Amino acid sequence: MMLCRVDGNVTATVKHKSAHGWRFVICQPITADGVEIGSPTIAIDPLGSGLHSRVMVTTDGKHATELLNCRKTPIRNSVIGIIDT
Amino acid sequence: MKLGKVIGKVTLSRQVDSFTGGRWLVVQPLNREALAGKGQPTEPSLVCYDNLGAGVGNIIGYVEGREAAQPFEQESPIDAYNALIVDTINYMPPKKS
Amino acid sequence: MFLAKVEGSVVATKKDPKMLGRKLLILRPMLVDDKDHTKLKAGVNTIVAVDSVGAGEDEMVMFCQGSSARLANGLKDAPVDAVVVGIVDAVDVGGKIIFKTGK
Repeated sequence: MMLCRVDGNVTATVKHKSAHGWRFVICQPITADGVEIGSPTIAIDPLGSGLHSRVMVTTDGKHATELLNCRKTPIRNSVIGIIDT
Repeated sequence: MKLGKVIGKVTLSRQVDSFTGGRWLVVQPLNREALAGKGQPTEPSLVCYDNLGAGVGNIIGYVEGREAAQPFEQESPIDAYNALIVDTINYMPPKKS
Repeated sequence: MFLAKVEGSVVATKKDPKMLGRKLLILRPMLVDDKDHTKLKAGVNTIVAVDSVGAGEDEMVMFCQGSSARLANGLKDAPVDAVVVGIVDAVDVGGKIIFKTGK
């Protein structure tokens, strides 16, 4: 799993049918000290994380197919936890 | 999934059979600075499969790797797939104190 | 997928048995120059890819990398991670055709 900081969100009307109704957040991978690593990625967020909150993002494609209930979804990254400390 | 800007398109004269009817977009990946509007994208551009109908100038969310081949009924060697055409981006990285 | 120019080919007599009979090409990735979007710039690295469309030397092709490369026809059991999936006819960036076969 990646440790990320939520830096915003994205809206899209035209998208793959498996993703309709899902919230997309812009996640910036960070180190434990908050230093950014690389470019931001987009993940689906079922937990409703707030701006600048630290989250755990999994790149397990199977979990995404279970969340979206679609075996043929191209979505891979999903937020699986909002970090307290 | 990463964000990228569509800067062009590719047409193929010969291709693998399962690709007939495909649209190919030349996409420039957007890094942190480009998203914030403070710099030029620096990563190499790639070619992405599209069936949502994105045009030059659109920002798209594209998926790389094995998941890009998942939406297809027939197995196709695709490693970049357009999954979203972005309407709005709300990007607010925290200000460095 | 990335665009690339075919620079040559590879012949290997001793290899994994699942690679028998495969045509192997040397590709030089061609990237859109970020300083000038009307040009293609050659990348630094070269890639060896399996050919599945019959590409020749000096042609501009499109290739796929990673585990998706195994989804090409007949490559399900082959230990490949790059396959040529198309021969490029034209590349259009920002409304201008920056590459056309034959030119």
